[in-house]
Amino acid sequence: MKGTQLGEFEELVLLTVAFLYDEAYSVAVMEELSRRVARPMVLGVVHRTMQRLEEKGLVTSRFGEATAERGGRRKRLFTVTAAGERALQEARRIRNELWGGIPAAAFKGGVA
Amino acid sequence: MTPGATPPRPPRWAKGLLERITAPHLLEELEGDLEELFHRRVREYSPRKACLLYLLDLLLLLHPRLWRRKPTAHPPTPLFRMTLLRNYLTVALRTLARHKLYSAIKIGGFAAGIAACLLIALYIRQELGYDQHYAQGDRVYRLLRRSALRGEAGVGVHFPAPLAGTLRAEYPALEKVGHYNAAFETKDIQIRRSDRPESLHEEGFVHVNQEWVDILELPFVAGNPREALTQPRTLVITQRKAEKYFPGEDPIGKVFIFNDDPQRQYRVTGVIRDFPATSHVQYDFLMSLAGKEFWPGEQTNWRTSNYISYIRVRRGTDIAQLERQLLAIVKKHFLPYVVKNGANAEEIGWLESFRFELQPVKEIYLNRAEVRDDLPHGDLRYIWLFGSVAVFILVIASINFINLSTARSANRAKEVGIRKVIGSRRGSLVRQFLTESLLYSFFSFAVGLLLAILLLPLFNGLVGKSLTFPWRTWWLLPVLVAGAGGVGLLAGLYPAFYLSAFQPIRVLKGHLGRGSKAATTRSVLVVFQFSVSIVLMLGTLVIGRQMHYILNKKVGFDKEQVLLLEGTHTLNEKIVAFRQQMLGLPQVRHVSLSDFLPLAGRKRNNGPMWTQGMADAEKISSQHWNVDHDYLKTMGLKLVQGRDFSAQMPTDSGAVIINQSLAEALQLKTPVGERIFNWRGAWTVIGVVEDFHFESMKEKIQPMGLFLGRSPNTLLLKVQATDMTATLAAVTGVWKQFSPHQPIRYAFLDQQYAAMYADVARTGRIFSSFALLAIVIACLGLFALSAFMVEQRGKEISIRKVLGASPGHLVGLLTLNFVRLVLIAFTLAIPLAWYLMRAWLEDFAYRIPLQWELFALAGLSAVAVALLTIGYQSLKAALANPVDHLKSE
Repeated sequence: MKGTQLGEFEELVLLTVAFLYDEAYSVAVMEELSRRVARPMVLGVVHRTMQRLEEKGLVTSRFGEATAERGGRRKRLFTVTAAGERALQEARRIRNELWGGIPAAAFKGGVA
Repeated sequence: MTPGATPPRPPRWAKGLLERITAPHLLEELEGDLEELFHRRVREYSPRKACLLYLLDLLLLLHPRLWRRKPTAHPPTPLFRMTLLRNYLTVALRTLARHKLYSAIKIGGFAAGIAACLLIALYIRQELGYDQHYAQGDRVYRLLRRSALRGEAGVGVHFPAPLAGTLRAEYPALEKVGHYNAAFETKDIQIRRSDRPESLHEEGFVHVNQEWVDILELPFVAGNPREALTQPRTLVITQRKAEKYFPGEDPIGKVFIFNDDPQRQYRVTGVIRDFPATSHVQYDFLMSLAGKEFWPGEQTNWRTSNYISYIRVRRGTDIAQLERQLLAIVKKHFLPYVVKNGANAEEIGWLESFRFELQPVKEIYLNRAEVRDDLPHGDLRYIWLFGSVAVFILVIASINFINLSTARSANRAKEVGIRKVIGSRRGSLVRQFLTESLLYSFFSFAVGLLLAILLLPLFNGLVGKSLTFPWRTWWLLPVLVAGAGGVGLLAGLYPAFYLSAFQPIRVLKGHLGRGSKAATTRSVLVVFQFSVSIVLMLGTLVIGRQMHYILNKKVGFDKEQVLLLEGTHTLNEKIVAFRQQMLGLPQVRHVSLSDFLPLAGRKRNNGPMWTQGMADAEKISSQHWNVDHDYLKTMGLKLVQGRDFSAQMPTDSGAVIINQSLAEALQLKTPVGERIFNWRGAWTVIGVVEDFHFESMKEKIQPMGLFLGRSPNTLLLKVQATDMTATLAAVTGVWKQFSPHQPIRYAFLDQQYAAMYADVARTGRIFSSFALLAIVIACLGLFALSAFMVEQRGKEISIRKVLGASPGHLVGLLTLNFVRLVLIAFTLAIPLAWYLMRAWLEDFAYRIPLQWELFALAGLSAVAVALLTIGYQSLKAALANPVDHLKSE
């Protein structure tokens, strides 16, 4: 596999950032994920993951607007970089390949 | 956290905590995120739950990533950034150059203080470093005994001849036992090489045994160290004497003849290096004790004590226990001998009171001279004294520095204000001013070092030592640099913090009045400076007065124009003819032959005197001097009762002339005609002489008796000459006739007398030097301060003048404050000075009283000096044209 290794949670966060395109900041990511994923989301974990993604160069960040709700503080908006996109595509390809090769007998519910 | 009029806020303390922990580049987004979540949760749940969740989130945020700082684009200012440092130095140098006077005073005062400190440090270093050079020094001790006689405790260093041998034989704990004898046959010696006829007078003779040489590890440059003094009549000399008598030759085996007597010969068997300046003993001729007996039976006599003993103990010996064990010697040897030879109860009691003490060799020099060992001693008190003086002078100089820096702060205030506006933090400013003071400090240290090197010869003369800078030691330069740095930092701390505390807005608006608090500190410092100076001045005055008193007090004899001829015993029988010739000279009035002289360190003879029926305990300890018929006339002693010795009275061979102290002590109401006794027999008192000082004035006049006897080493000539040179020439001429191979040795009684107090004179000189230095530095500071103050009050003075104030009034105004400070300093100085001077004067049995006029004199001088210093500035200000200051309004 070329490119950087992507952890499971990192992949989820990265996807959500792409999903939320141009509106992706820690709180939004957190809420989106908590809607979809069963386990509870903690701001700290999300934040750390975003930091790690930025360090790996898979996202870039910029300062966005400030709102009163945030007490006048600006939010940090993240967007997926080309490298991030490549990593996601790669991960998807691997999964698809594996999914595609699963024999019908393996899963009771069949392979969709 | 309650809903209501105010919208719910996140807990403030938690926010504060977050702010403090989080890295700066993350703070904004995190705070915002948390707050956003908080508000949403308030809407969804309740404020209470929102708070709890806020705290929970905060807790879960704790992770090193939270506080890891982003590697910054510009690193924080390191301690010594080159360009900033260069700027500081430039500014410092410019300030220095612009105010040359103040800078000169700051640096000059500092340098003077540092020079004084360096010189004193050298002195203290040598004083504390005596006898450190023995490899086995921590096992070497000198033997002391403490005893009590008639209730008086005494310490002695002298022991009988057989003690050394006995100690070695009976105490295995002692590795080596050595002793020396400096009492017999060590004075008035003229030596010559066996192959040359001229004799030269020499000093520094001592009789030693081989083990003493081993114990003190004397370094030999020629001869066998182990065997040099094992044979009788052998001699070890120092290198400088070897150079003097045998330049370029090998001294070993050569023979010296003593006092021109072929029976007294010594063969050179070794040459040692000169004793170092830091050795407590200084000798040049070590004569062997092997086979030597000073008088028959002397070597086995346990009653006479003339040997100073040194021991080297084995490793691990318990000293206290050894001291106790040594007591056995008293019972085993001292007492039996004494009893066998007819002792009295008093002597036995004295012996039984013996306690031995082992004195480590390193402590011999500094031990106060309660031990009369005829060796020079340092005084620990003087070390403390000079050390304190040095510290004080340095403190005074530092005070100048601090005062001047803070006083001229108005000039730097604008600079500080602008720097702060541009963005300097307080820390940088402090660093700047510390850099400045370090610069001054290093400058001053360099100048001070130079001064110290230049003044070293003068200082050596002042303290009577030969000190040198230890350039070879590795630690000298680092210590100096560290010292400069330390002093610079300490002195610079207060000004640095003071100057950097200016608030830019107040400075740039023009309110500079941060005067009051600093002014008090300055005043306190000035008071301190002057107190120290006044104490030193008083010290000088008192010492000077005491010296004057000593030198001019009536001593009871006439010391003017008395010539002492030394070494006359070598004339032997020719002395009679020599005397006649001397009397024949027109300028010579009286001639007397005796070497008992009223000078410290001369021949003395002590023993008990008593009248009929006196118990042993009552016998008076007194001096017994052997003089001739003309002694009283030659010395100008006054008889208060009775008559002088007379050649016409043959019975005078059993006569004695006593002094008033002895008459009092023996309780003789009519002394003349009474019979008194000493160990030699019975004597008739024929006269009483007025008490005269024959020791230094530190001692009370002892009882004494003058007997007719032969003591021919010194001839006293009372002359009455207007032309002393011609008289000396005549005397020398006669001497040459009688003793062609011996150069004449003479001295003047009054000069010798003054030399007795050389150490007092020296202390006085030292005090006056330091007092002068302290006053000069304090006045420099005062000068600068007053100049500054006049500058400050320039406008005020001009306005007062315009309104009609007289110059006198103005001068008074300006000087009053300072004069008040000096008076306060004076009041503080008095008790301290009084206490110190009284302690010093107690050393003297005859001393001046501490009169109030001395104190008044010191106080007035201080005020006068202060006035002079300030006066110039004040006068100039008072007489100036007011227009000059008010022009630029």
